[in-house]
Amino acid sequence: MSRRFLTSMSALAVAIGLASGQVKSVKTYTPPKTPWGDPDIQGIWPGNMGTPMQRPANLKDRALYTDEEFAQRQEQARKQALTDTQEFASENAKVSIGPPSYWTERGKPTRQTSLIVDPPDGRLPPLTPEEQKFRKEARGGRGVTGEWRGEADSYEDMNLYYRCISRGLLGSVIPVVYNNGNQIVQSPGYVAFRNEMIHETRVIPLDGRPHVGSSIQMYMGDSRGHWEGNTLVVETTNFTDKTSIGSNGAGYPGDPGHHSAALRLTERFTRVDATTLNYQVTIDDPKTWTKPWTILIPLAQNSNYQMIEYACHEGNYAMGDILSGARAQEAAKSK
Amino acid sequence: MLNSSLFATVAVLSLAAIPASAQAQAARPKPNLNGIWEYIGTANWDIQDHSAYQGPLQDLGAIGAAPAGQGIVEGNEIPYLPAAAAKKKQNFANRRTTDPEAKCYMPGIPRATYMPFPFQIVQSPKDILMVYEYASANRAINMGKPIEAPTDTWMGTSNGRWEGDTLVVDVTGLNGLAWFDRAGNFASDQLHVVERFTKAGNDRINYEATIEDPKTFSRSWKISVPLYRRAEKNAQLLEFKCVEFAEELLYGQFKKQTSK
Amino acid sequence: MRTRISVVFASAGLLLAAVPVSAHHAFQAEYDDKKPVHLKGKVTEMEWINPHSWIHIDVVGADGKVTNWMVEGGSPNIMIRRGFTKRSLEVGTELDVQGYQAKNGENKANGSSITFKDGKKLFVGGSNPDDPGAKTDTK
Repeated sequence: MSRRFLTSMSALAVAIGLASGQVKSVKTYTPPKTPWGDPDIQGIWPGNMGTPMQRPANLKDRALYTDEEFAQRQEQARKQALTDTQEFASENAKVSIGPPSYWTERGKPTRQTSLIVDPPDGRLPPLTPEEQKFRKEARGGRGVTGEWRGEADSYEDMNLYYRCISRGLLGSVIPVVYNNGNQIVQSPGYVAFRNEMIHETRVIPLDGRPHVGSSIQMYMGDSRGHWEGNTLVVETTNFTDKTSIGSNGAGYPGDPGHHSAALRLTERFTRVDATTLNYQVTIDDPKTWTKPWTILIPLAQNSNYQMIEYACHEGNYAMGDILSGARAQEAAKSK
Repeated sequence: MLNSSLFATVAVLSLAAIPASAQAQAARPKPNLNGIWEYIGTANWDIQDHSAYQGPLQDLGAIGAAPAGQGIVEGNEIPYLPAAAAKKKQNFANRRTTDPEAKCYMPGIPRATYMPFPFQIVQSPKDILMVYEYASANRAINMGKPIEAPTDTWMGTSNGRWEGDTLVVDVTGLNGLAWFDRAGNFASDQLHVVERFTKAGNDRINYEATIEDPKTFSRSWKISVPLYRRAEKNAQLLEFKCVEFAEELLYGQFKKQTSK
Repeated sequence: MRTRISVVFASAGLLLAAVPVSAHHAFQAEYDDKKPVHLKGKVTEMEWINPHSWIHIDVVGADGKVTNWMVEGGSPNIMIRRGFTKRSLEVGTELDVQGYQAKNGENKANGSSITFKDGKKLFVGGSNPDDPGAKTDTK
């Protein structure tokens, strides 16, 4: 990764932080150190679902909203919060098949126009022809963007999230409608990054050891970290080709979707002030996207946020219901 | 390997209102439990004394059979109340499909400690995480003021404190759905476990757990196992995301039948 | 989808759009939109589990027969962070549920709308930014 790229990314990150009011000054912040001398990035850093993955096309290269646009977004959020807290259903409210809004934790709007900060237009680079073919032919929700496609012959037609297998490395951090808890605990030679949904913990060694052999593949990949000044740089390889970048099933506009086993992630964790951790990731998968792309997710510390177990698979009634529902409908049709 | 002197630096606490013994405890350097640990033995098959016996699926031949083992229960007796003793027998008979391990359900406490998989303790001066390779289970040990379990969970709510050189972990809020082993030993949602982790030299932790559950047992009882440091160069946790291995067992009956 | 969420998003243009709306699973896969149900019953149990909670209610039919229904709710983690607890829904509480029945014909419905007898929504509230669950250390 070029030094110029890194400099422009950190300048952008600071600009975003300043604009959001999260970063107090341009002066470089020096985080406290752990007793063994590593920068201390410990704490609970829940994600905020306030920024879309991809930038609306009409905004072109604008990484930040104007004050006016931001004020509009805040007003929208205020109105939404009022609606959400309405205690009584309105008489004429139609009951849809979807979940009610108060099942979710609303995000706070940010000035960032997209999580994607590179390419400069804030949008995903094109897919390779190989990957386009894969997504067209893939069954069910398997690793592709969007919701379930309608097949329910087997549990394998469901996506990894419905199956409660994993949301993958980035899928466990990219903020969604709820349970965006992230916790960092450090010990000498390690940084542990613990995600609430679906209960992942990566324990990242910092001792410079090589990655595991290439025949070992993991949903969360194999991570190796080192400090560059006050930035924790984590390189992750050894991914399976079964997961997506993003929701792995819930499906939202701009969800990056399936990646190959060739994926290499480079995460950069930088504490830019006492309560802000900039989480920046470069996604490099030449089999899937024609060039690398980078996201920036500022994480705000919240020591009041309670990390609660999200057991998922253990309570997954829906899987049996979806499959038996499909069988019942087939039986009814054949009558 | 890193030694305890790294923990000799302790944050200055406001000691004014704390009793002298607690002050001494707070100032004492903490034992270093960091590392990758694993139990060696057959407790996950059966926590009581047992000869070798046929496993629940004969098709696996000798691979699926339980090795003999001396139990980890003090006195070898599990003091079930009568109804619970009957349930235990039923669990054993149906274990192939009802053992939560077969379904890749999280193992709960204490079973997570003696599964045949490594787990890692990540200990900072303030927080302790225990990360289990089996099913990506994990838990945080709250080392601050004890908190109430927000709800019942598979891995429970753990409140920890130091007593001398022992990490004492009080686990409540367990949902009663995990088993103690593959032999059907179980408890209810009133299970309360108090664990004790004590270093014995650099490469071993002596683990004890006191089990109590007035709905299931007539009195409390104790288990103990040694935990060994995984000594391989570059030892690390890998993944055992076993949901995929359990899906056919759980959902196979609902699949579309392709042969007619 | 004609929920309030998509209505708000549509009117907000792209301001708050392009973020995940429904997490976990597609209700269309589990429930039949041609089988709306309106259930009134008393709570017998609530399973505070993930990925979705389940409220069991005893529904008395016109014939006086009691049927137990399972109603699918949200993830308990959010409710707990908003300050709700198991005690917030006692056994015996009367609920009014509107939703859709499971495709497999079982007595299961999704809780698109769950209210108390008086029309007050169950577990609502606390979504505004000043809610303790949403506080960050910068505030």
